[in-house]
Amino acid sequence: MKRIETTLENLKNEIRNFYNPELNHFIVINAVDLGEKIEVQWFFTDNASPFTITAICIQIEPVIEIPSITDIVASAWVAEAELVDLMDIKIEKTARGFVLEPDFESGPLRKKK
Amino acid sequence: MGKQYEIPMGAQHISLLEPLHFKFTTENEKIIDATANVFYVHRGIEQACCSKFKFRQVSFVVGRVCGLCSISHSTAYSQVAEKLVKIEIPRRAKYLRMLVIELDRIHSHLLCLSHVAENSGFEALFMKTMQYREFSMELLEAVCGNRIQYDFSIVGGVARDLKPQVGQLILERLKKFKSQLDELVDIYQNNWTLSLKNKRAGAINREDAIRLNVAGPFARAAGLAVDVRNETEDLLPWKEVGFEIVTDSAGDVHARNMVRLHELFVSIRIIENIINGLPESALVTETKAFPDGEAAVRLEAPRGELFYYAKGNKTQILERLKIKAPTFSNVAAMVEAFKGNEYGSIPAIVASYDPCLSCTSR
Amino acid sequence: MKKSSKMKTFFKTLGNLFKKPVTTKYPFEQTYIPDDYRGMIGFDEKLCIWCRRCEMVCPPGAIVFSQDMEGKQTYHFNRAVCIYCTECVRACPKEGAIYQTAEPAKYALKEENINKVWNSLFEEALKSRAAYAFKKKRLAADKIAIKKPGDEK
Repeated sequence: MKRIETTLENLKNEIRNFYNPELNHFIVINAVDLGEKIEVQWFFTDNASPFTITAICIQIEPVIEIPSITDIVASAWVAEAELVDLMDIKIEKTARGFVLEPDFESGPLRKKK
Repeated sequence: MGKQYEIPMGAQHISLLEPLHFKFTTENEKIIDATANVFYVHRGIEQACCSKFKFRQVSFVVGRVCGLCSISHSTAYSQVAEKLVKIEIPRRAKYLRMLVIELDRIHSHLLCLSHVAENSGFEALFMKTMQYREFSMELLEAVCGNRIQYDFSIVGGVARDLKPQVGQLILERLKKFKSQLDELVDIYQNNWTLSLKNKRAGAINREDAIRLNVAGPFARAAGLAVDVRNETEDLLPWKEVGFEIVTDSAGDVHARNMVRLHELFVSIRIIENIINGLPESALVTETKAFPDGEAAVRLEAPRGELFYYAKGNKTQILERLKIKAPTFSNVAAMVEAFKGNEYGSIPAIVASYDPCLSCTSR
Repeated sequence: MKKSSKMKTFFKTLGNLFKKPVTTKYPFEQTYIPDDYRGMIGFDEKLCIWCRRCEMVCPPGAIVFSQDMEGKQTYHFNRAVCIYCTECVRACPKEGAIYQTAEPAKYALKEENINKVWNSLFEEALKSRAAYAFKKKRLAADKIAIKKPGDEK
C-alpha cells in the first residue's frame, strides 16, 4: 500500500493529477480517529498485475469542512454520505440522514473519551 | 409533455430479496429520475470489531456480515490480519481457500440467475435452476461442515482439512452438473420470450461504466476487463490453477446472465485442477505476535471487488477496520441506469444487479 | 423447424407434470449428512488442567468456569450461544479434554429460559473467581506479615 501525504489546500489538485479514469479505479473514502485530529484517506487502485493500492491522506481537525470530489469522481457521493453520518465530519454539499435516523446521536465511530 | 408521478418501490416488495427503497419519477410509464435509500440493515459491525472482540475472534464475526459471500469476508479479513502480524500461510491452506471460494461462487451465481428468471415471469426456469443448485450446498456441507456459515478461514490458515473421499465426491458431482449447465446455457440464450424481457433492458454502456467505477459481473458485461483474480499473484495463486476472464459487450440484463453462466465453466475447471493438484503441507501457521501498522487487501467476491483496511496498535483489539462491499460501488450506477427504462421491467433490472444489502450496510 | 425450437422449453416444462417432485420431505425423510458434521462439544473432566484457555478464545462467550472457596473449578457451557467453530478444541493444550462430536445439538425450548439463566450464571461465575483470587491474595499477605516480626527477632 502506498501513502501520499498532502494538505487540505492541495487535495483537489493532487487527486485531479493522479486520477485517470482509463487506468485508475476509485475504491472508497475512509476516516480514522487519531484522538485530537482525524485522518481522512482516499483509496485508489490501478488495474495492473500485480496491483498497487494508493491512499491520499490528510489530517484535519474535526470541525473543518472538506471539499467534495464528485466533480472528479461521479460515484463518490455514497461514500461521503456514509462518513458524514458515522464519523461526524463536515463535507460540502452533503446533508445528514442517509445512514442513521435524524434523532440518533451522530458519530458513533468516534472514540469516546 | 405528460404529467409526472412519483412512485415509491418500498422496503417491503414482493419481488425484492433485500430491503431496498427507491423513489421513481415517471412520465408516461418511462422513468426519468430515481433516488435510493440503502441502509436498512445497518448493524454496527465495524464498531463492534474495534471494541468488543479480540483480533482472532473478528474473523468469525465478519463471516456473518453476509449470508451468500461469507467465505469472501472471512478470507479477506484473515489476509489483512496476516499482513498485520507479518506471517505467511502454508501452500495447502491457500489452495483450500481457493476451493471453497469457487464452490461458493457456483451457488451464488445460480441463486442470482434463478431470481432474474422469476422476476421476468418464468417460474419453471426459477424452479429448475434451484433444483440444479442443490448439489453445491451438499458439497459445501461435506467440505466445511455447514451449508451457509462456513467458519473456514482463520488467522494463520484454515480450520479443516479435505479428505480424499470428499475430493472424489466433488469430482463425481461436478461431472453430472456440467451437462445440466449446458442445458441452462441453451435456455437462457435462445429462449424467445425470455429475450423479449431481458434484451436491451437496464443497459449501461462502456463510458458510463468507466465513469461510475462499477465492479463485478456488472462491469464485465459492459466490456470492462476488471477482475481482482486477474490482477494479483502474491496472496492466492489464481493463474496457476487456470483462471480466465469472461467479458461481454452489450451491458444489458441478457449479457449479465451470460457472463455469470460462462464464469461457472471457469469455476468448474479451477475446482478440478485444485483437487487433482493439492500440495501436502501444514494447515496453520502459529504466531504469538500482536497486530501493528496498517494494511489493505482486495478480493473477488461473487458480486465484485471486496476491500478491507485494518489498523492495529500492538494490543489484542484492533484500532480501525473498514469494509467496502461490492454493491456499495454499484449503488451510484444502479440509480443512473434506471433512466429511460419502462416501469414494468424494474424487478428484472434490480435482480440482475444482484444487490446484497447486508454487505453494503454492515 | 424454427417453430419447434421456440416451443422446446414449453414441451419440456409440460413433461414435468408426469415426473415425481424433487422435494425431500424433511424431517420425515433424512437429508444428506456428512460424517464429520460440526456437532455438539463434549468435555472430559478427568483430563482437564483448568488453564481456562478455551474460555479466553471463545468468540461468543459460551464457556465459563466458576470457582468455589476451596479452589475447585466447574465447567459451564451454553449450547444456544455456541457457534460450533472449534476454536476451543484448537486452543486446548491437552488433547481429548474438550472435543467435538458429530451429533447435532438439541434445540432450546421456551421453558428452559436459556439466555436469562446463562446471563446470571456468567456474572456469578466471574464473581466467584474474583472472590477466590481476593482470598488467596489476603492469605499470602497475612503470611508475609506473620513472617516479618519473627525474622527480626
